[in-house]
Amino acid sequence: MADLLQFVVAGLAQGGAYALIAIGFVSIFAVSGVINLAQGEFAALAGLCAISAAGAGLPLLPALLVAVAVVAAVAIAIERLAIRPVRRMTTLTSIILTLGVSTALKAVMLLIWGPQGHTLRAFPGSDLTVAGVSIRAQELWILAACALVGGAVWWFYERTLHGKALRACSEQPVAARLIGISLTKASLVSFGIAGVTGAVAGVVTSPIYSSSWEIGLTLGLKGFVAATLGGLLSVRGAILGGILLGVLENLVAGYVATGLRDAVAFVVLIAILLARPGGLVKHTEARV
Amino acid sequence: MKRSDFVAIAALAAVFAVFPLVVPTALVNIGVYALIYALTAIGLTLLMGLAGQVSLGHAAFFAIGAYTQAILVTRYGVPLPAAAIAAVGLAMLAALLIGLPLLRLRGHFLALATLGLGIVLAVSVNEMEFTGATTGIFGIPKPEFGGRLYDSPEEYFWLMAPIVLVGLLLARGIVESRIGRALSAVNDSEVAAESLGVDTFRLRLQVFVLSAGYAGLGGVFYAHWLGVVSPSAAHFSMSVEFLLISVLGGLGTVWGALTGAFAVEFLDEAMREFIPVLVPGAAGEVQLVGFGIVLVLIVVLLPGGLHQATRRLFARRRPAAVPVSSGDGEPEPRRAARPERGSPLLEVRGLTKRFGGVVAVDDVSLDVRAGEIVALIGPNGAGKTTCFNMISGVLEPTSGEVTVNGVRTDGRKPHVFARAGATRTFQNLQVFRSSTVLGNVKVGRHLRSRAGLLRGALTLPARAEERMITAAAVRCLDAVGLAEHAGQMAVDLPFGLQRRMEIARALALEPDLLLLDEPMAGLSGAERRELAALLRRLREDGMAIVLVEHDVAAVLSLADRVAVLDDGKLIAFGPPDEVRQDPAVIAAYLGEDADVRD
Repeated sequence: MADLLQFVVAGLAQGGAYALIAIGFVSIFAVSGVINLAQGEFAALAGLCAISAAGAGLPLLPALLVAVAVVAAVAIAIERLAIRPVRRMTTLTSIILTLGVSTALKAVMLLIWGPQGHTLRAFPGSDLTVAGVSIRAQELWILAACALVGGAVWWFYERTLHGKALRACSEQPVAARLIGISLTKASLVSFGIAGVTGAVAGVVTSPIYSSSWEIGLTLGLKGFVAATLGGLLSVRGAILGGILLGVLENLVAGYVATGLRDAVAFVVLIAILLARPGGLVKHTEARV
Repeated sequence: MKRSDFVAIAALAAVFAVFPLVVPTALVNIGVYALIYALTAIGLTLLMGLAGQVSLGHAAFFAIGAYTQAILVTRYGVPLPAAAIAAVGLAMLAALLIGLPLLRLRGHFLALATLGLGIVLAVSVNEMEFTGATTGIFGIPKPEFGGRLYDSPEEYFWLMAPIVLVGLLLARGIVESRIGRALSAVNDSEVAAESLGVDTFRLRLQVFVLSAGYAGLGGVFYAHWLGVVSPSAAHFSMSVEFLLISVLGGLGTVWGALTGAFAVEFLDEAMREFIPVLVPGAAGEVQLVGFGIVLVLIVVLLPGGLHQATRRLFARRRPAAVPVSSGDGEPEPRRAARPERGSPLLEVRGLTKRFGGVVAVDDVSLDVRAGEIVALIGPNGAGKTTCFNMISGVLEPTSGEVTVNGVRTDGRKPHVFARAGATRTFQNLQVFRSSTVLGNVKVGRHLRSRAGLLRGALTLPARAEERMITAAAVRCLDAVGLAEHAGQMAVDLPFGLQRRMEIARALALEPDLLLLDEPMAGLSGAERRELAALLRRLREDGMAIVLVEHDVAAVLSLADRVAVLDDGKLIAFGPPDEVRQDPAVIAAYLGEDADVRD
């Protein structure tokens, strides 16, 4: 029983990280139909930036802020330099394009930080044990960041006029333009948001899972699976999907075999797509 | 396949024969890798260019081919060709298992699933003892056939060149075949292609499996050339490289795979030499930067790849295909006789569609018999098009049944509807943009011809059938008076002619039941009269026609029976004279009064 709880707790924390990445996918896809495969690289980059900033003597909080700001700027630059110039953007094109971006980013990180993994120093707070289950302070930080950032993005897209207007761009681009929503601005904002959520995921997880140039790929894939679990258009769905995937992975790793951890996401993806292509969260049916 | 293709192949063969003789061995060595990767990229190019799908984990199939070959040859002493067949077969099987569930879904899921497969495979071969874990499998012999050992770059290049050429020829055949035509139509308009009987899922799956076969074969050659297969064969950067080759070469063309492969391999080599000079102590993976940036630059600046660039350079318009006159060619196979006049063709029972809380179509039942024209009219928003979409399989009904020629088609795809002997046109035209008028109509012959992937690839066995398809398509164009426009690009036609082309395309299917969504809209008076005359002729031949129309006057003079929809409900169904007098219909049209009277 204690084992089970322990796995679930670890899974919740990991799921929180997946959820943050997944929110980034949703943020961009819901606005422009672009699938951004560089989403995982945002996290890797943020982690490494924070480590360097902290290593340069900055206190933890400013180091984190610097990292998040850098990544958000990178995300915006990507939108400007790579996404916007493409005239006929389809989901397929976006996948190829962002794969190129992700590859380049990965290699830049390798050049700057080298092949080894680095770890950011832990956030303040002491680990605790509840009913035989040890909970690391960092895990609580991850969940808190997920709740805070996830909540904010959800609130923005679902509750504010601005956010709803952005989402309208994907469904009715022409109508959106007619009522004065700028598609280019919408896309820019969505990339900014994705940069921030990815960066937050990267910095809060770095103390436990460490950061390196190559973590972005698997992290990104898992974030995508989480987003797909939630139907790719729903922030709430992405959070739930992330948490679910994280817990599932840890249960499989704990009870079956550690090596299978990375296969879980892939199997879950196929299973979900077969059973419920629309994701786990119910959407109102769209008109064809 | 065109004559220019054979010329190109012959020229390439000559170049390949000479290449190892005139360049230094170091370059031939790069050439061998280019051929191995080109073979793999041919499949990927077909997948992306033709099936509109992308695989981000093609290295997985490549590695499956390489590992299978290595294991069979080194551990079990299987002869090379037999092992190669097994290796390619296994790669294709893997693709089948992935594609079967995932290709039913839209767009990006296959991309992510293949990416996942790539990761899982790379992790597994790295962990498993069976595949030699991190060290991999070594000691794979160089191939030997007929006492000749293919162990130098020159020899290996000559061994591979014919295989790559055959691979190119087959792929080229597929692009030009009935299957290629259908898939290209799917890329332009999925719903229109499916309404003409194209089973998108099936064709995409076939191309995906085939592309994995190409990758598997690439892997086989890779294993023998390197003599060792390690987890790096499954590495993600390999998938990126294959993708880069295809995109750089140009997705629209299989030749691109070859140009792309040579370009990338030489670029790769140059970067290998150059980057350590630029960045001392840089790791080998740094060429990923180059790959990434090149990939982005191509998509942004040169979406058509090198192929497009050379095209632009030579800026020669493709000569319009000259249509064959309808007189020549063998008689086409006549399809089974039309259903008897008056026999029930289409039965709709209790058809209902709800969008959230809105009932768009409410419990509509009607039937259509062979040899009659039925008009579906109603005020705006009455649910006519929704009704049409459900009948033709485009939209799944919330409840109710649709039966065509005795086959239940509701909630199944449009191609099932087409297979049952029925097709439709669209209110907002769905023209296949990338082909000519004739090419558009030829897609309509999809169900009346049979050549599959294999016959298409081999080109020759499908020739007779291709001629019949062309002849039939020209006849259909004749019927709507478009024969002289056959060689024009379909998008260049004016609106009215595009509408007629869509009708010709639907007629090419020789349907028993034809659904026309606002066929009169946007046509001039003369064009309308011609169209009405055509529809009457078709009715005489025993075809059943259902049309949604706004022009009520035209409809009342043309239709044998009229169905009136209002607010999703069928409020009247009968001969025009009866419907005209119906109080419910008059009430529904109050405010659109003028329409009914004029």
